[in-house]
Amino acid sequence: MTGRRPDRCRAPDAGHDRRGPRPDERWHRPWLVAVLAGATLAVLAVAAFGLPHGTGPLPQLARHAMRIALPRWGTTEAVSEVVYGSRGWDTFGETFLLLAAVVAVSLLARGREARSEYVGEASAGRTEQGEADPDEGVDSEESEAREAEHGEEETAQSAAEDADDDPLGEPGPERAVGMTVLVRVGARVAAPILTVAAVYLAAWGYTPGGGFPAGAALAGVAVLLYAALGHRAVRTVVRPSVLEPLELLGAAAIVALGVVGMIRRSAFGENWLPLAPQQTIRAGGTLQLFSAAELIEVATGLTIAIFALLGMRHDWTPDEDDDSASPALETHEGQS
Amino acid sequence: MIVGNYLAAAVLFCLGLACVLGRRNLIKIVMGLSLMESSTYLLLVSLAYRNKATAPVLADRPGHTSERDLVHGNVADPVLQNFCITAVVIGVAVTAVFLTVVVRVAQHYRSTDADDIRELRG
Repeated sequence: MTGRRPDRCRAPDAGHDRRGPRPDERWHRPWLVAVLAGATLAVLAVAAFGLPHGTGPLPQLARHAMRIALPRWGTTEAVSEVVYGSRGWDTFGETFLLLAAVVAVSLLARGREARSEYVGEASAGRTEQGEADPDEGVDSEESEAREAEHGEEETAQSAAEDADDDPLGEPGPERAVGMTVLVRVGARVAAPILTVAAVYLAAWGYTPGGGFPAGAALAGVAVLLYAALGHRAVRTVVRPSVLEPLELLGAAAIVALGVVGMIRRSAFGENWLPLAPQQTIRAGGTLQLFSAAELIEVATGLTIAIFALLGMRHDWTPDEDDDSASPALETHEGQS
Repeated sequence: MIVGNYLAAAVLFCLGLACVLGRRNLIKIVMGLSLMESSTYLLLVSLAYRNKATAPVLADRPGHTSERDLVHGNVADPVLQNFCITAVVIGVAVTAVFLTVVVRVAQHYRSTDADDIRELRG
């Protein structure tokens, strides 16, 4: 193990012979990196001076969007009109790109066993896994391991069900999965404000149309609550059986909106609702519904992606093939 | 001086590129890709800029401008701002997939060093 950086993430036994020690370097071929990145920077810098310096006329498409924003969509926000109107088809594709990415993350992050929650089942499963099989005799190694485990249980297993049940002022660290009382209070104050702000952004904002940022903010609230209060605080909502149908519901609503536009009007995604007065909650016709569906889609999609990633390390099933798959490991053990 | 923004975007892009090319840690490579994505956001929003223009919002116009002024081009480009929103969402989606792959690679090889991931070699 000489010559390896100590911070490298690697189990001590996994050092196969093909991974020889390498020099302690921060950059891989720094001269090549410098030449390539420097050349790219030079090209981009030359190109930057050829770009419009804020003087060019507004492109035709942008002018068109500004012109039709009020008469056709009843929205005073040209960007919303472009997102959900003129370039609605692009947004439609982008939504399904996000959905495809979420499906990819869920698939890659899937554990060996079906789970009803993203995080937290590892601690629940630990108790079950710790129970001895009555048909199996107990050897000295197992009894030793159990004794050690029992010693640890007092600190690790007795975390309070609710972080608030953990007594304050006890010596030693708090055992609950949540953070300290200060962080918990801060999160409890911030979460409703952020939720209301996110929904306000989607429903009113300047005018309707803030589905994307609002969805990101809602996903942020879920992460904030998880970080501050622990998985038990979010388990009723942040679980695959709730988030996945919601996400697909959002996607289905977006498809339905477009298809109804095609049936009732001339084209996919065309507005088919009567226009309400501008700057009211119903302004924008189907644009507002599209934005609301995006809110659901983005909020659930980001939450699924984040929690699927967080839950990946909690796969508590032991790797059965570990020993048979690496002969190098066996010879290692044989020698020692 | 919007050229400053363009140059900042170019520098950000090249920092990300250097990170992707020169680092071996997979998480740092993903961070480099993320940095390259952010540089495009800066470039798109800077391209939308117009001298002495207002936001592309038709309500609450500043004093002396009429709706007609706005429609005739005295606003920032809304289409490029839309591109930026699209790019942000795609950037998040791509980063999430990359990170998932990195975690799986780390679990499989017990290493986040790109030099240890050699099974596809040759």
